[in-house]
Amino acid sequence: MSTPAKRVVSKGVPIRANLILSRIPIVVPEETKIEKQYRQYQNALERRLMWTFPAYHYFKKGTLSEHKFLSVQKKPITNNPNVWFPKGVPDIQHGRERSKAQEVILPKSETSDDSNITRPVEKNSIVTEADKAGDKSSLERQLRKTLYLLVNYKKGGWSFPKFDIDESRSLDLTAENGLRKIGGENINTWTVSKKPVGAIESKDGSLDFFIKSHILAGKFDIVKESKGDIGEYAWLTKTEIQEKLGDDYFSQTGYMLTE
Amino acid sequence: MLSNVRSARTLPSTLRSFSTSQHSYKAACSIVPPVHHLVKIDKSKLTPRFPGLKYEKDDIRSPAYRPTDTRQDRLQEHYLNTLQSDLLLINYRHKAETKEGLKNRPWDGTSPYQLNRPMKKPRGSKSQLPDIRPTKWNNIPELESVTINTYVREARENEMLTISAALQLQQLTGCKPKVVYSKSDVPNWKIRKGHAMGAKVTITGYEMSQFLNTLSEIVLPRIREYKGISMSSGDRFGGISLGLTEEEVKFFPEIDLNQDLWPKTFGIHININTTAQTTEQARTLISSLQIPFNTENAQRM
Repeated sequence: MSTPAKRVVSKGVPIRANLILSRIPIVVPEETKIEKQYRQYQNALERRLMWTFPAYHYFKKGTLSEHKFLSVQKKPITNNPNVWFPKGVPDIQHGRERSKAQEVILPKSETSDDSNITRPVEKNSIVTEADKAGDKSSLERQLRKTLYLLVNYKKGGWSFPKFDIDESRSLDLTAENGLRKIGGENINTWTVSKKPVGAIESKDGSLDFFIKSHILAGKFDIVKESKGDIGEYAWLTKTEIQEKLGDDYFSQTGYMLTE
Repeated sequence: MLSNVRSARTLPSTLRSFSTSQHSYKAACSIVPPVHHLVKIDKSKLTPRFPGLKYEKDDIRSPAYRPTDTRQDRLQEHYLNTLQSDLLLINYRHKAETKEGLKNRPWDGTSPYQLNRPMKKPRGSKSQLPDIRPTKWNNIPELESVTINTYVREARENEMLTISAALQLQQLTGCKPKVVYSKSDVPNWKIRKGHAMGAKVTITGYEMSQFLNTLSEIVLPRIREYKGISMSSGDRFGGISLGLTEEEVKFFPEIDLNQDLWPKTFGIHININTTAQTTEQARTLISSLQIPFNTENAQRM
């Protein structure tokens, strides 16, 4: 591998720290159809090969709980020499048909209807209120995908938040402090590394370094002092960023983003 | 003789075993005369009676086949989505080069007695150490396996205790553990060779993710004043260990919800094996799973 030639940057050239602030996915990504089918098949196979449920271990012999458990179970078909079984003779061990997956039915407790402890789990929808309303400034949208913060500069249009560096501060500190200057103190972020993920050299000689960071808590909200420079902000997925930034700029930054 | 040679030549490669230690007394044949090198024959593979034995364990036709990819793995998805690229960035060093580990030293050749002598051991180490390569896209640290073992001291009086220790490991992991036996006699500790002393299990894949999730989300937060894994833990090659006492093990939901069944629990050692090349890299990976490290005494280590 050839080592890049050492560049000497003259003092007048502007160097900027860009911040790639991401909200990591909250929910696992959606399985593709083939993944789903393959896992379903493997799961069914695993259930067939599964060990027999050791009911004797969980329910002591002669107890009421054992009686309750056994009374709900479906009995397998037993072997009978006088009967012809077209799909094979039943092979039963410990009350289980060995060629099939075992179905274990748990008895419902009598008090389950009223007590709060065993109330049924209600799943929240993956499609949130923000998704329905199309609110792109909310952090609670597109739960399956990584979201990135983009701001709309009144002069330059949409881009990642960028800050000119002064000589006393490093890239990562510039980015972190700059974010709090435009977005308020009510934000908790974690910068992944002091090293930038990427750099872009513009035609005018200016350098853009990209610092990676995750939002852990809090909210980005443009403060009053910055409202002159920045019009709006949005949390966007990679595909949405491609539409916003245009192919030219995205081709230089897209590799730093994940779906 | 010739016909023998021909038939041996047509054997598929699965029938050949080049190790000489295990099958040294078994039948062997040579492919090329004169006979210098005998190829051992595994007769269970030659017989037409058990076709299932000829397949590898990950072949679906093998009776030992177990499906592995049975459901979506939350931890693995998180690793691929977020952690992998972060770890690449964190472990990146400017102008990094391969750091060569300690290697065996050659003799200087001044004496004829040095001819064919094995090389000198490296200075400062009993054995050779691996090179540490720069972290790139193809060697980002990732989780390999988790080995959990428990040693039951009371088992020297009552061997039956190892059965409940193994059962406890099976409840925690969902995999079948192995009972471990003492290797030698130690009269001071009242240990006899061949006595069952504990149990161990190695888990990978979904079971490993599930276990680590339970550990970091349920068990460790419930331990009173838990400070984290000691900074002195680590085997220099990417493994990190932690231990749980018999009281802390009760926080696993598998045991916590069935406390009547567990009059006695056993402390466990958890060894997390990663593909990290240094302990530092392994710590970064494991702390990204939200398992804390105790940095209070970090300077002393």
